[in-house]
Amino acid sequence: MSDASTLPRAGGAGVTRRLGEALASRRLLPTLLLMPVLVFFLIWNTIPTLWLLGLSFYRYSLTSGRPPIFAGTYNFISLLEDSEVWFGLSRTFLFVICAVGIETLLGLLLGLLFWNSQRLPGRRLALTLLFSPMVLTPVAAGTFWKLIYDPTFGILNNVLHGLGLGRIDFLGNAHIAFAAVLAVDVWMWTPFMVLMTLAALASVPKAELEAAAIDRLGFFQRLRLVILHHGKFILMLGILLRTIDCFKTMDLIYDMTFGGPGNTTELIALTLYRRAFQVFNMGWSSSLAVVLLLISIAFTATFIFVLHSRDRNAPAGGDAP
Amino acid sequence: MKDGTNPQTGRSTAATASLDRRGLLRGLAGAVACGALARPYVARAQTGPMAGRQIHLAILGIAGWTPSRLGVDLAPDFVKYAKDKHGYEVSFSYSEAPFAQLFQKAATSLATHGQDYNIIISDSQWLGALAQPKWILPLDPVIRKRPKLDVEWYSPVVRAAYQTYPDGSTHRWGFPQEGDTMALYIREDLLRAPGEAEAFQKRYNRKLPVTWEDFEALSYPDFLHLIDFFNRPEKGHNGFGSQFSREYDFISDPVMSLMKSEGGDIWNAQTGQVQGIYDTPGNAHALQQYKDLLRYEPPGAVNFGIAELIDAFTQGKIFSALQWAALGPAMITESLKGKVIVVPPPGFADASGKLVRNYIIGGQPWVLNAFNSRDKQTAALDFLEWWYTPETSLAFARHGGNPCDKVTLSRDDFDAIQPWYRTYKYMLGHSSDFWHDPAYADLLSVQQEAFTAFATNQVSNPETALRYTACRQQKILFDAGTAQKAPTAACNGIRL
Amino acid sequence: MSWRTHAYHALLWLIVLVFFAPVGWIILCSFKTQAQILAVPPLLVFRPTLENYVHVLSEPSIVLGLVNSLVLSISSVVIAVGVSFLAAFSFSRFKPRGTDFLMFLLLSIRMLPGSAAILPVYLMYVAFGWKDSYPAMILFYAMFSIPFSVWILKGFIDGVSTRFDETGLVSGAGWLGIMTRLIFPQVLPGIVAALIFNFIFVWNEFLFDYVIGGPATANIPTVLATGLYKGGSTDWTFVSTLTTIYIIPPVVIVYVFQRYLLVGMTFGTVRGEV
Repeated sequence: MSDASTLPRAGGAGVTRRLGEALASRRLLPTLLLMPVLVFFLIWNTIPTLWLLGLSFYRYSLTSGRPPIFAGTYNFISLLEDSEVWFGLSRTFLFVICAVGIETLLGLLLGLLFWNSQRLPGRRLALTLLFSPMVLTPVAAGTFWKLIYDPTFGILNNVLHGLGLGRIDFLGNAHIAFAAVLAVDVWMWTPFMVLMTLAALASVPKAELEAAAIDRLGFFQRLRLVILHHGKFILMLGILLRTIDCFKTMDLIYDMTFGGPGNTTELIALTLYRRAFQVFNMGWSSSLAVVLLLISIAFTATFIFVLHSRDRNAPAGGDAP
Repeated sequence: MKDGTNPQTGRSTAATASLDRRGLLRGLAGAVACGALARPYVARAQTGPMAGRQIHLAILGIAGWTPSRLGVDLAPDFVKYAKDKHGYEVSFSYSEAPFAQLFQKAATSLATHGQDYNIIISDSQWLGALAQPKWILPLDPVIRKRPKLDVEWYSPVVRAAYQTYPDGSTHRWGFPQEGDTMALYIREDLLRAPGEAEAFQKRYNRKLPVTWEDFEALSYPDFLHLIDFFNRPEKGHNGFGSQFSREYDFISDPVMSLMKSEGGDIWNAQTGQVQGIYDTPGNAHALQQYKDLLRYEPPGAVNFGIAELIDAFTQGKIFSALQWAALGPAMITESLKGKVIVVPPPGFADASGKLVRNYIIGGQPWVLNAFNSRDKQTAALDFLEWWYTPETSLAFARHGGNPCDKVTLSRDDFDAIQPWYRTYKYMLGHSSDFWHDPAYADLLSVQQEAFTAFATNQVSNPETALRYTACRQQKILFDAGTAQKAPTAACNGIRL
Repeated sequence: MSWRTHAYHALLWLIVLVFFAPVGWIILCSFKTQAQILAVPPLLVFRPTLENYVHVLSEPSIVLGLVNSLVLSISSVVIAVGVSFLAAFSFSRFKPRGTDFLMFLLLSIRMLPGSAAILPVYLMYVAFGWKDSYPAMILFYAMFSIPFSVWILKGFIDGVSTRFDETGLVSGAGWLGIMTRLIFPQVLPGIVAALIFNFIFVWNEFLFDYVIGGPATANIPTVLATGLYKGGSTDWTFVSTLTTIYIIPPVVIVYVFQRYLLVGMTFGTVRGEV
């Protein structure tokens, strides 16, 4: 009995049955299942990327009134010579490393704290509230944190003032602004790392934990030998996802500082946005986008390589007992 | 139609068919009858070529900016006018976006030759960026055909700022929707409090300026005395407030105003040359002067944009503010009514001792989408003709808008309509615009970056900030083909 | 319970409240007037008002924005997860050539900053005249959600033993039946996690809707960004009220489906309780 028997018997039933069998054959089915994703990928990814690649070789500004002019590697050379781009990239890397680093450590710590809290009264509510920074619209988060940081009207400064510590202009001080924006990112996404930590901890087989307890292993030994050993995979995946998203940070800065003061919070995503959608210099922006794409691919490749090489013991499915 | 029985309704198809035919005949008869009866009414409005049509106009304006909205708010009068005079029905809708995003919104729509927005209220600097790709309608041929649109403006700066592109030519691309200049808002209640004038006289040996005329004669050093005197953080208010934010053009406008008032310039519009004109000691001095004003401003002033400055003033945190005249309605809230005086900002003595003011002009022109359908274009032009009639201008003024036509501004009772009008009119004669170049967004962004870097001590001396800006702007203009000379070798690897 | 446990619980709640505090502040502000929000020192005790809510909810553009947000988020995510399920099944069971490459490529695309991903799509949409069109937006958001969904679902499907497939085939179920009746229920946490996570991402997505969307497809982040200012100054009551309204659905979802979310983020390594 095959699927074809369930099809209505109309004229040409033989063709339909053969089609059904063909569909079910192992050769056509995998590709067929992949079709939708491939179509999506082709239209919304491949074609735009090729377009982007092509445009990066032209000088083209939407507001110039002139058609695109072929310029070879002009845009790329312009990029390489542009100190703003180099500093923006290094600033962004610094931001990502600090943010993800702090979020991971903090998330790990808090995750471990929350791990055995099954008996916490209102646990579900507590976790929901803990995750609330993640689900807040970045536009709103940026706007409101700007108010919270404000020297005159903001809560933080009023508390500081009340404690006699004077007022700090968080977002207006060229030396502090970067850290202030970083702090908001940490606030927003540490809950995500907590979530990933909880998931990672859940993937540790209970049997091993019990064995570790019986063997009276110390906390750090337990952490190293049992917990991190098994939870590594998910934790690394979480770090990868967070790094990927952090690299793209723009909504937050757009509302809080717009890259200022000076250019201390100018992350590369904002530079790209400005050149693409405010100045409308499509050629230059395309070349920057291509460069960022190459960076993304390089990073992801490295990460996955590292993940797979350490992944020998990861429970990746198959025949589970 | 076949004969038989319709399986669904059970009626005979022949019957259904004849029913349809009968219905059709009836409908037709009815239509003819209506047409016949309506003929006299239709004939009456048969005055224009668009009679009887329904036209929808979409206006794109500045979010949360009342003068922008007034175009649509006052429109119902035009709707009636259009119906009576031209016989067509017009309806309006209003879309908005904040300043910093308005150009982008307009551009992304115009790039697709879309008719999302038929009339666009743009900032004056964007004229080049909208005109060069031919996204907006060139107006000279239109004005030739419709002489009513050749309005006489109160000051030549109106045409230069809101209509002309390229700078120095005679081509027109927009009409002024809202005129705007810089002004000084002062808390008159604090200024005229008993004992202040005597204390001021004693401290600085100068008379405290209290009337509009006093402020017209106020020079910059005396202005500094004034804001220093009223800088009382221990009492909860600082002496002064102005814009320093990185966003949009917030810090650029006041700094460029100081630069220009003190005799400096930002570029040569004909040759596109920036270096040598922009990075001068005079301009560096102006930048330093502006930063020094922070001494008299509230702690967070280095982040002030338009919105924050309004908040600070309306919440009583500052004694005075350098702010746009168009924001009069927002700055003078209910609780501040009668307590605020709006006067010209300080002048700068030139070599001969005469006071010079050359502040940056604000305001928005409105432009017409070049891709509007013929009907919409006609309706839009009729709307603009109506807008510049003296009656409409006056209504606009009464609602808090700033008209620019000579007829309205020359009225005897004009100054009395709004508290800032006297200063607005005066400053129209003392203001100028900056680049209308298509690359302006890029030029502005670099300048904003450098100015805020200096204001927040990321960069310690103003010459560095100006040199950085001049280099980058020269490159931008050279790449765009506007500047003839490339940036000098000293520009390689320059950074803030 | 010992005092140590009480202290432990108190500490946990303290941490939760520290993270929640700014969000709580926003919610609090939605019940204040503009002057109260800007009051110095900040007011914690005040007379609340519901006027902001009345005001915000009676604006047709905001109601439209809410509807758009819902429609865009739900439809794009459902399409994405559906399509991803099929693909993940194929990757997991049949491992066609190029699986690893495609999985990797999907993930790296996600790393591109928004403007870079949107730039070519914007040009493409402009060329095809797809600005401000529902289907075009929904399909873009679906593509946006596919990488994450494929990764999660593949992880989960990998965790389901192939013996189920064999059993299914033997009893003549056919692949469609296997997928829907055998595999799908077992990977439900993954499905739910993918749905929720992507829903929240699209729900909060600003850039694309702002650049490519128009008046008819504006979602709430766009409405927020354009409605920030009123009369020149920031309209704090508007922002706080709209934000509060907007955060309710995601918070409710996170609360109701929390278990699925926690299990789902294990990417298939755990299929029981967390």
